[in-house]
Amino acid sequence: MNFTRNIMVLGIALALTAPGVPQASELRVGFSADALTLDPANHRNRETETIIRNMFDGIVTRDADMNVVSQLAESWTAIDPTTYEFKLRSGITFHNGSAMTADDIKFSIDRLTQENAMGGQTSPRQSLLGPVSGVEVIDDLTFRILLASPWPILPAMLPFQEMVSKAHVEAVGDAAMADSVNGTGPFKLVEWRKGQSVIMERYDGYYGGSTDIEPVGNACVERAIFQVIPENASRVAALLAGEVHIIDKLPSHMIAQVEANPDTKVMAVNGTRTTFMAMNNQSGPFSDIRVRHAMAHALDRQLIVDKILNGNASLTNGILSPDAFGKNENLPAYEYDVAKAKALLTEAGYPDGIDVTLDVDGANKEIAEAIAAVAAEAGFRIGVVVGEASTLSSRFRTKGEPIDGQMWLTSWGNGSLDPVGIFVPTHRSNDRGNSSGYANPELDALLDAANIETDRAKRAKLYSDAEAIVNRDLPKIYLWVAQGLKGVSTKEAGWRPSSDRRINLHDACVN
Amino acid sequence: MSFGSFIERLAHLLPVLFGISVIVFVMTLLTPGDPVQIMLGDQHVTDELEQALRRDMGLDLPPQERFLKFLGNAIQGNFGLSFYHRQPVVDVIASRLPATIELSLVALLFALAVAIPLGVFAAVKKNSILDRIATVTSLFGVSLPGFWFGILLILFFAVNLRWLPVSGRAGFTSEVEPITHLLLLDSLLRGRLDAFWDALRHIILPAITLGLPVASILMRVTRASMLDVLDRDYITFAQAKGLTKTQVLFKHALKNALIPTVTVAALQTGALLGGNMVVETVFGWPGLGRLVVESIFVRNYPLIQAAVMLYAFTYVTLNFIADILYTILNPKVRL
Repeated sequence: MNFTRNIMVLGIALALTAPGVPQASELRVGFSADALTLDPANHRNRETETIIRNMFDGIVTRDADMNVVSQLAESWTAIDPTTYEFKLRSGITFHNGSAMTADDIKFSIDRLTQENAMGGQTSPRQSLLGPVSGVEVIDDLTFRILLASPWPILPAMLPFQEMVSKAHVEAVGDAAMADSVNGTGPFKLVEWRKGQSVIMERYDGYYGGSTDIEPVGNACVERAIFQVIPENASRVAALLAGEVHIIDKLPSHMIAQVEANPDTKVMAVNGTRTTFMAMNNQSGPFSDIRVRHAMAHALDRQLIVDKILNGNASLTNGILSPDAFGKNENLPAYEYDVAKAKALLTEAGYPDGIDVTLDVDGANKEIAEAIAAVAAEAGFRIGVVVGEASTLSSRFRTKGEPIDGQMWLTSWGNGSLDPVGIFVPTHRSNDRGNSSGYANPELDALLDAANIETDRAKRAKLYSDAEAIVNRDLPKIYLWVAQGLKGVSTKEAGWRPSSDRRINLHDACVN
Repeated sequence: MSFGSFIERLAHLLPVLFGISVIVFVMTLLTPGDPVQIMLGDQHVTDELEQALRRDMGLDLPPQERFLKFLGNAIQGNFGLSFYHRQPVVDVIASRLPATIELSLVALLFALAVAIPLGVFAAVKKNSILDRIATVTSLFGVSLPGFWFGILLILFFAVNLRWLPVSGRAGFTSEVEPITHLLLLDSLLRGRLDAFWDALRHIILPAITLGLPVASILMRVTRASMLDVLDRDYITFAQAKGLTKTQVLFKHALKNALIPTVTVAALQTGALLGGNMVVETVFGWPGLGRLVVESIFVRNYPLIQAAVMLYAFTYVTLNFIADILYTILNPKVRL
């Protein structure tokens, strides 16, 4: 009895001192990973960028619909294929109150692109700015970005970079930038508790942000916190318990839990990551195009999306997501047709079906098993083998060397929604993400031409033609683009999830 | 223990650490997966830029050269830059270590506080119904998977009852100027009871999840060694002298029975410090275990190497401490 009573007393005591609902002006995000650094130039990590983007603004940004819109710059023009001129807004200040000028932009971009520009280190983000060769400062508010060769996707790639203060970096040194923030963003850093949380407060001198994204002005909440909760179930629990207002990476099997709670809801947004099954085109059964076509007809993709992903994905018949630039809208779909699949297999010399292996990493095991179950009817006896993602990557992405495996269920992200980030690496002969050993000079020529074509219509046509080729040759089975799912408290208002998985808290309010 | 034997024991550390460094280095070489490709992620990158990054990470050198460089630097306490954090790994590890130490200590205290009384009780009341309940419960304690038990605790105490927080180490307001970097201790030293209470509320669930299997093992060890000791002649003699039951139990029996418990507790502490990745992930605890496992997935070699060296060092040292504790508990034991 005493024990029970003691437990009760302890429980009541704990409950009484619980922090309860966060204050009205504090917004918390349950986030799957911590920042690796707070230096915008010294990481190569999406989660880090998401956190940093709330404290540092970029020359341009994206709205929730993924359009590239102005941010620090109010306008830009391409003077010629290798020169872009930008005009900055006036009155932008860093968190310490000093004015931002074109010199800061030049310094930031040099730091990102020049060898050994960060205290002897080279920025790991260098490759994200491709052929950017330098910045020419025209006056305090005007600058030009110079390219070594034509690179039409510069505006699409610029939202990935944030600008720093030249004076601040020179004062604190490059190493100290890891946890010293002086940005131009809507929030300034209060404290970074490593591995645990990034605590920020509203910057009241904010210039207002992009005029293309309403509302313009200071951030809505006084304080915003990214709380690191790596485990999916715990992140959902934190949302349900009212400890956080927004969670990222809501797994589809937990949607029901979030929807069942009256205080929380699910927000979905089109993703940018294409899921596909890479097949070994170099050797083995899948070097025969008929077997690849048979596999495509053997899969009821919609059934798998409905049953395993709860309907939260859109089918794609090529490598590009439906929202991507240059997407070919007229690609034929390989309909689910067991008879046709069997006929193709028989024609290819497998009248009794075929034994194949599908490699997959642990996170996608369930999907692979569903694929195996569905394809069995057409005669594909698929053995699902679970491996570790990085190991599988080095077995399949061989840059033309022999691939060790038959099929791999994998995906490739494309945050810029420009084909060059996904089409070239996954399909160009011997490129770093080509996991099917596919090599087609005709396709390579189209991709190379598109890479430097500055006329948008012509460039879109080149990608559209390229996608028709891969839809025909089918080096991979193109499956779907899954939606990004967020769990959101009904107390939150104003925030919209965005396809590139960024969580910009400028517009988020808490009631 | 003489000073000479102390130094001798200490010197044993060196070959062990060297051996570990060779093994870790060879294993990173043998493990498939390329840190450069993992870091570049899903992106179109030219070969030149890829090579530049490889050079920058020091991975363009032949393995033997990399090993010698690693060894030379490690002797000076420099384990290089973390590929991902782009800061010295020593700093990155140092920022996470206190949270792991604090959680491990609290879990160990919880385990000892539960295990020793229960173990003694079960031994004294051998074969009673309570002994059986304790034994079966300890079996469950060892068998329950941490991630499952942890989530269960979260759902019950944090989501349903809302008594305790789901994750993290402290709330926003309980910021304490660090002294030892152990929050519970620092908040007491600074006289901040509110911060202490907040830190305590955060650590309860992870410490129980982490400590339960340890408590179960320790309880069984204590029970077994108590049973062994209670059969000894000196206990019969002590009883014959007319000492009270409490005196016999705690002064004569328990002190001797604790030797195996101390050994196991020391080894378990090593395991706690290294193996709490699951609990740290479930509770969003900002510790080292989570960091190391994340580093393994992305092949962050410098951090993996430094962390494994640290684990090895800790393990060997704890063994050493356990040996010293023997001599205190039983002066007949010599090192």
